Amino acid sequence: MTKKKNRPGRIDRKLARWGLIFVAPSIAFFSVFSFYPIGMAFYTSLFKKNLLSLKRPDFIGLKNYIYLFGSSDFWNSVEATFVFALGTFLPLLIASLMLAAFIMSISKARRFFQMAYYSPAVISSVVSAAIWLLIFDPRGLGNQWVNAILQTPGIDNRWLADSTMVRLSTMIVYFWKYIGYFVIIFISGLANIPRSMYEAAEIDGATGWAVFWKITFPLLKPTVVLVSIMSMLQCLKTFSTQYLFTQSGAPQGPINVITLNIYNTGIRDFRIGRASAMSIILFSIMLFFTWLQFRTSKSDEVNY
Amino acid sequence: MNSHITTGDRLVKSLIYAVLILFVIFTVAPLVFMITASMMPAKDIVKMPYRWIPESFHWPNFYKAIAGNDGRFMFPRNILNSLIVASSVTVTTVLLACMTGYGLAKFRFRGRTFVFMMIMATMMIPFEAIMIPLYLVTTKIGLQNSYGGLIVPFMVNAFGVFMMRQYLVTFPDEFIEAARIDGMHEMRIFWSIIFPNSAPTIATLSILAFRAQWDNLLWPLLVVQSEKMKTIPLYIVKFTAEKHSDEGAMMAVALLASIPMFILFFALSEYFIGGSAVFSSRKG
Repeated sequence: MTKKKNRPGRIDRKLARWGLIFVAPSIAFFSVFSFYPIGMAFYTSLFKKNLLSLKRPDFIGLKNYIYLFGSSDFWNSVEATFVFALGTFLPLLIASLMLAAFIMSISKARRFFQMAYYSPAVISSVVSAAIWLLIFDPRGLGNQWVNAILQTPGIDNRWLADSTMVRLSTMIVYFWKYIGYFVIIFISGLANIPRSMYEAAEIDGATGWAVFWKITFPLLKPTVVLVSIMSMLQCLKTFSTQYLFTQSGAPQGPINVITLNIYNTGIRDFRIGRASAMSIILFSIMLFFTWLQFRTSKSDEVNY
Repeated sequence: MNSHITTGDRLVKSLIYAVLILFVIFTVAPLVFMITASMMPAKDIVKMPYRWIPESFHWPNFYKAIAGNDGRFMFPRNILNSLIVASSVTVTTVLLACMTGYGLAKFRFRGRTFVFMMIMATMMIPFEAIMIPLYLVTTKIGLQNSYGGLIVPFMVNAFGVFMMRQYLVTFPDEFIEAARIDGMHEMRIFWSIIFPNSAPTIATLSILAFRAQWDNLLWPLLVVQSEKMKTIPLYIVKFTAEKHSDEGAMMAVALLASIPMFILFFALSEYFIGGSAVFSSRKG
């Protein structure tokens, strides 16, 4: 905006009106499809409400929440969600940071490696789950490869049957699908670090490892924090893989993540009130992580 | 930088390449598996060891993929549904995000910051938390099991608004001022100056919006009841979950469903990757 006198003139008022006209459709949209439903979810969570029943839902205050906090099924979902989120995002973070640093350290075929890692992200999550469903078949590639590496011919690892393995299987699918995505984020983070920083270190005689820990990593910290929170939030919302696996006969308990539980409670069992209470808890968890991101990124401003 | 290369350096370098290549095998092999398995009869797919090169092209897989286990040929219809939904959402997202971003970036009006903060706040609301109320609203206004029901809740999203605003803040004011002095109508300014000049950001945003819908499973699962209105993720879930599904046909479905995305990726890979790189430029 060019500097003008602070007195609002006719033209300024006209322009302000146009500004409102441009944003009005979105305001209407977000009110109806974001704010109203989240308010509604909170409101419904205070009622005992069944989707099919025609009688007025009973107001039961916080009883849905009290029920959930006392329900082993819900705690199982919380556990399944956090096991999945931590078990996916930590390896994802470490591997993608390592691969990005490796790619930046070589001079040839950078583009090739980026594209190759990114390729699983191109296909949809349902398709990836379907592919891995076959790989995890008892006679599938999963067993063949693991047995070839560990030199244990003929062992079935029960990828989709054992309760620990089925968790690992969902993590592998997610890791596979998102690794390239985070590699690319880290590469653009690394590319933002000024060359002069490295040249200065070179002159001071710093070696590869020291350069990474003393220069690259601290400067990359904002990206690391961002990627951690983003992938954590992404993992907390996981649904497709778990849904497709359970639909195809995998045991539900170990991978009954909160989203799957909300879906089953609300849509399959019609307990709208209880499902809404779960939604609000999920929302609060995610809100907490978002707040954490804002807080950490505020205190970690980096100056080159 | 390369003053003297020692054998140690060379060892490190080859180790780096080895790790990089190992991960390439890990990421690419399942995709190659999908492609090769789609051409094989089921008995060859779950066979030890897996033969990476199909002996011949097993056409029945693709016939079964398209005809479905029930022989009702829902696949073409479901693909069409996905294309309609994803394209419509892309168009509305680009349009609304561009308008809103422009309004927030280039106009001063009371409550501008508040509106921007509120829109950003919606990014914190996970879809999973609002899906049930959204479902109830959609049913109440009679949009369940229709294109409207699949499209309307995704017409624009906060991230799109954010992206367009960040881009348009840097747009030179002189162009807009000059057009205003020439007496151009505000709508014309938007259409013939702002919109065409945002092409790269719009391309990135389009791809983000399109793939989000191509990938969307949860919402169609809620609002769609009839086979005819199903989108491609629902078709895949149904096909995969059916006990007597043929493994080869399953991979043929997976492959056919991925073709549109692969075409987009190879044609517009820079915008694909641009979508994820946006995050890293979001400092502070």
